[in-house]
Amino acid sequence: MNLGENLTLALSQLASWEVMLAILVGTAYGTLVGALPGMGTVVALVVALPFTYSMETPAAIALLLSIYCSSVYGGSITAILINTPGTPQSAATVLDGYPMARAGKADLALGWATFASAFGGVFSLIVLIVAAPQLARLSVHFGPVETFALILFALTCIAWVSSGSTVKGLLAGAIGLFLASIGPDNMTGLSRFGFGVDALAGGLSLISVLIGLFALSEAFTRAAYYREGKPPDVAGVGFRMPPWMDIRLRIRMLLQSSAIGTAIGILPGTGATAATFVSYAEAKRTSPRREGFGKGEPDGVVASEAANNAVTGGALVPTLALGIPGDGGTVVLLGALLIQGLVPGVQLFQNNPEIMIGAFIVILIANLLMVLFGVLGAQGFRRIMGLPEPLLMGWVVLMSVVGAFAVRGNPIDVVVAVLAGIFGVLLRLAGVPVAPVVIGMALGTTLEQSLRQGLMLNDGSFLAFFGEPIAVGIFAVTVVFIAAPIYSALRKGRGA
Amino acid sequence: MKLTVTLGVATLGAAAVLALATVGAAQADYPERSIGVMIPFSAGGGTDVPGRFFAAEMEKILDTDFVVSNVTGAGGTIGATQLSKAKPDGYSLGFMPVGTTTTQPHLRKTSYNADSWEPICLVAQGPLFVTVLDDSPIKTIDDLIAKAKSDKVVTGGPPPGSLPHIAQAAVALAYDVKFNYIPHEGINEVAKSMLGGRVDMAIWFSDAKARFGLRPLAVLDSKRSAEFPDVPTMAELGKPVESFVWFGFFAPAGTPEAIVTKLSDACDIAANSDSFRDNMKKAKRQVRYMPRDEFAKFFAQQYEQNGNLLRDAGLIK
Repeated sequence: MNLGENLTLALSQLASWEVMLAILVGTAYGTLVGALPGMGTVVALVVALPFTYSMETPAAIALLLSIYCSSVYGGSITAILINTPGTPQSAATVLDGYPMARAGKADLALGWATFASAFGGVFSLIVLIVAAPQLARLSVHFGPVETFALILFALTCIAWVSSGSTVKGLLAGAIGLFLASIGPDNMTGLSRFGFGVDALAGGLSLISVLIGLFALSEAFTRAAYYREGKPPDVAGVGFRMPPWMDIRLRIRMLLQSSAIGTAIGILPGTGATAATFVSYAEAKRTSPRREGFGKGEPDGVVASEAANNAVTGGALVPTLALGIPGDGGTVVLLGALLIQGLVPGVQLFQNNPEIMIGAFIVILIANLLMVLFGVLGAQGFRRIMGLPEPLLMGWVVLMSVVGAFAVRGNPIDVVVAVLAGIFGVLLRLAGVPVAPVVIGMALGTTLEQSLRQGLMLNDGSFLAFFGEPIAVGIFAVTVVFIAAPIYSALRKGRGA
Repeated sequence: MKLTVTLGVATLGAAAVLALATVGAAQADYPERSIGVMIPFSAGGGTDVPGRFFAAEMEKILDTDFVVSNVTGAGGTIGATQLSKAKPDGYSLGFMPVGTTTTQPHLRKTSYNADSWEPICLVAQGPLFVTVLDDSPIKTIDDLIAKAKSDKVVTGGPPPGSLPHIAQAAVALAYDVKFNYIPHEGINEVAKSMLGGRVDMAIWFSDAKARFGLRPLAVLDSKRSAEFPDVPTMAELGKPVESFVWFGFFAPAGTPEAIVTKLSDACDIAANSDSFRDNMKKAKRQVRYMPRDEFAKFFAQQYEQNGNLLRDAGLIK
């Protein structure tokens, strides 16, 4: 069968009211669940999974794919409006999205987030269509040594992401790395820092720490200051598409962030959270408007949101082409395909090309619908943001606690979230940024594992790491990134 | 005064009778509400897929909702610990694999052991295979062993103590060689290392070929698999190493006899239904049904055997 026939077959499978309804419901539901603090992509997919059993294959795939894509976007809404990322992938969106909202430009921030999300999503989709099998084959050659180098590089982003004191940012990053070491040690199969608590043997869940640090600590802080004076209001809630002039100005930023997101998404095991922070740091380094970062610069929102939606297409590359899921969301997608009787991997590409083409079309429609729901939803957000603050924050706390529990079904995660919330308040009072904690925690496990796997593969020799050309390249870039600001600071110091 | 006491006793007695009656009725009417099924691994994973297929069948037979929850972490021990402490009333059940129930209790100080469960039935079982990349120069087990002796064989799998880890150690022990084991976070990561050429050999399930194009060299079973009739068993090669992954349906110990019987009767129908077998076949998984008594014996024997294997491999003292 040639492409034309496959395309026709794919379109005929999609052209049913069931599939269209599935995409519509999936996108609306995904956006909504993504926006709820604590309910991330994985929870959104797991909740929908049982409904797909009784559905025809095209409708089932359409539902899950549209949820997968739109939930990543949904996280940006709460990040911008209430300083609480709905998903870990949107943690970097908070950095500039919330300051924009406080400056009365919430509508514009949402506009940028929506546009950048759709841009990143479509960008990565094109990459997926054009080069999935080739890129997937390349991605498997990215071994532990290369992964270690990449994660090390991503950690340098902490210095760029933390506004204010760099030392405090690094301290927060170190705390995050330590938190990641709690729980199972995959190299030995033993538990660490569990203190004999059975429920801690699985480690801390990133999502519950994130919920605590962002959502709960925000609620606690607001509660503490509630009687003293009205906290800063978020004004201008609504939806405003950024003017074409501004978009043209940022086209390079959009492309760069989408490329970073797609590339990191393709490498299994690195994750969307890392991608957004790398993209944010890179934007802050290269943007001509870098002075405004952290104070409400649209570039910051663009960098984060284009990257996290670009991860979706990237992560689908190894998932669909090899059967190796690229992130937590694609693990669920993979399972759903198995339940539908489709075995993802090399054979799916050869035997059912119409399913792949259908999937591409669904992702495209979902990304476009996202914009529509963003515009329509703005009215709803305005109403919600108009609620009395205690009511709104109370609802945030409730959703957070449910979300923390829902991820793994482990009650200890709720305790962890509350403790992280209290800890988050202390960090805020001390002027320590919370975002680096999330970066450290998101990268810690992979950093350690790739280092130890790399050492095991090379008989314990660290020198062998420098025999891998890709890794050496990344190491060199890392050194330059660390050295450059120090050098310029020293020169400035000498000049003064 | 006396009257009050008598009255009191009478009330107590009546209450007791009533209570007994309700218990009896509860068991006769079981199930009266939805039943929770705990799966100790994440949604869409190797345990979750057969677990959800199975729950869907049970739902039809017992005419109530089976609510699947994934309680994940630490090799499934978090979910298993939770289930072992649940009220044994037949409304909290679990679909758990061999590792969580028979190796983890030996490896970790889990608060549950072999006696924490009321095994209901065995649902699925499949042998493990020794696999290599399709274009690997290793064509037979002998090639593999020769490479291990002259050079080194890098193998990969989930964290130490996992089934593939124990199995590769058993194969190595049988041939008196050693494989270089690289632990990975999960089975998907192993596939990546394998396809990237960093790992020479992996112990895998029967979906290895369909999913990743891996080539099986031998099956760790006493008989050849229907799917790969040309692949020899380890016993045929003179080293009878066997290793299976299996999935069973469990209730916490202390679940009333009548309820367990009802569940195991339903399990018989579910595991042998056409729709369940169809679904499993499409997902490249094997069904293996064992009724309650047989499964209980099998479970006890596996628990002991895997403990011994772990000791032989030097993983526990």
